[in-house]
Amino acid sequence: MSIKINDLTVTFKNKVTAINHADLEIPNGVFGLLGENGAGKTTLMRVLTTVLTPTSGTVSMDGILYCEGNYPKIQHRIGYLPQEIDLYPGLTVQECLEYMGDLAGVPKEECRKRIQYYLEKTSLTEHRKKKMKQLSGGMKRRVGLVQALLNEPKFLIVDEPTTGLDPEERIRIRNLLVDFSENRTVLFSTHVVEDLAAVCNQLAVMKKGQFLYAGSMKELVRTAKGHVWICRLRDEVQAREIEKKYHISSKQLSEDGVQIRLISEKMPNIECVSVEPTLEDAYIYISGQQA
Amino acid sequence: MIMTERKISLPAYKLAYAFCFVVILSLIRGISFSYEIGIAMEAPMAILAMVFCADTYTQEITSKRSEIHRLYPMKKRLASMGIRMLVQEIVLFALSAIGYGMFYSFQHPQSLYKAGQSTETELQMFFLFLAAMVVTLWFWGILSNLLACLFRNMWVGIGCGIVLWLVTNSTLGENVLGNWNLFSYAFRNVMDSRDFGWLCGKALCLLLCVLMTLLMPKIIKKRG
Repeated sequence: MSIKINDLTVTFKNKVTAINHADLEIPNGVFGLLGENGAGKTTLMRVLTTVLTPTSGTVSMDGILYCEGNYPKIQHRIGYLPQEIDLYPGLTVQECLEYMGDLAGVPKEECRKRIQYYLEKTSLTEHRKKKMKQLSGGMKRRVGLVQALLNEPKFLIVDEPTTGLDPEERIRIRNLLVDFSENRTVLFSTHVVEDLAAVCNQLAVMKKGQFLYAGSMKELVRTAKGHVWICRLRDEVQAREIEKKYHISSKQLSEDGVQIRLISEKMPNIECVSVEPTLEDAYIYISGQQA
Repeated sequence: MIMTERKISLPAYKLAYAFCFVVILSLIRGISFSYEIGIAMEAPMAILAMVFCADTYTQEITSKRSEIHRLYPMKKRLASMGIRMLVQEIVLFALSAIGYGMFYSFQHPQSLYKAGQSTETELQMFFLFLAAMVVTLWFWGILSNLLACLFRNMWVGIGCGIVLWLVTNSTLGENVLGNWNLFSYAFRNVMDSRDFGWLCGKALCLLLCVLMTLLMPKIIKKRG
């Protein structure tokens, strides 16, 4: 399964261009999509799920071109978890999933087996008789993910799947997505860089409707090598001065002053040491470079 | 599937407000004769049908579930909406029948049949009312659902429906449209039980219902 995006542009009626001549190839496995708010991630996902028709450019899935006539063929291969979704509040978890599985065309018995399997995987089995409105935000998110997996899609699109989950659950969901991605494509969009670092080898970084980077995670981290520095400052006043000049990726207060981690093209004019970049550093570096 | 659709389309609050509406209507809308019950109920029940059915599909839009629904086969989506409409219409129909009984028990109307001024029995009048209500409720319910889907907003669906309701349920509507009025049952000549000219209006309603039913898949496909 591979998705090819060629010269994709999406312009809304109010003339706002959400995606601007973007090219991308999404291979098998978990593919991360990273970007600030308003970068165009959700618009891209809406195009990939056929919810939105692009203004220009083409998208294809395994050679099948996204067009009105091919939509039914494409749609039944997709599973989708939107960023914000309010699943049927009056139904129980089990009813809700059985209903959505039925709508997706999954045979009843098969659907029940899959529900049982995924509820176990997401630690929701004991909550299956609870009404959706009784669930916490994190639980609702997990049910949303299960509904996206029910038709065993070849292409799974998940928008912020770990929002509202506790650390243990986040790890469990990430592992579930990695297991699921075998011979499939999972597009994982998130703000949480840590999540991507844990599950993806390949990722794309979006900003203002364009891809700043698309490729392997190692390569992205490598581009930031030699541009990440740690320095110790004596007080908060000095730290504020530094913050005005550089991108700061972290800041820690300690008894003997302030330690900051900063991103800079050249070595800063203060006493500091070069350190190995993380994915988060690389993301800030590449975003700053384009700005 | 039917039970699930019933739970989705008929939450408790909807049943509660619909029942209250019928109770209040039967208490405050004054009538003297039993033949007036149908006249008193048809137009208000049309409003109830509009409000009741407008969120049949738009609830999927407001909850963002429609983005997932788009991935489902069109046949399944239409079947789901069809079942929701059916269960809602059945409830509205049952409420109409119950409301008719409430008018009787709360206001004790006089019977023209018993007074020898009409050939139509009370039971005949009741069944005629039920037949007319099937068409009225279907028409106004599907109209508001169709408009709500078209504009992706239940309030626009209800608003547009109310404009048509105001035009047709008026003296102007009665004079201009005559027997072809959408509320022809309420405007019929009650003194002549053999005058079935009002059926033209109900036949028009039925025709429009069929057209709207045929139009729905196209709107759902286009507007999601």
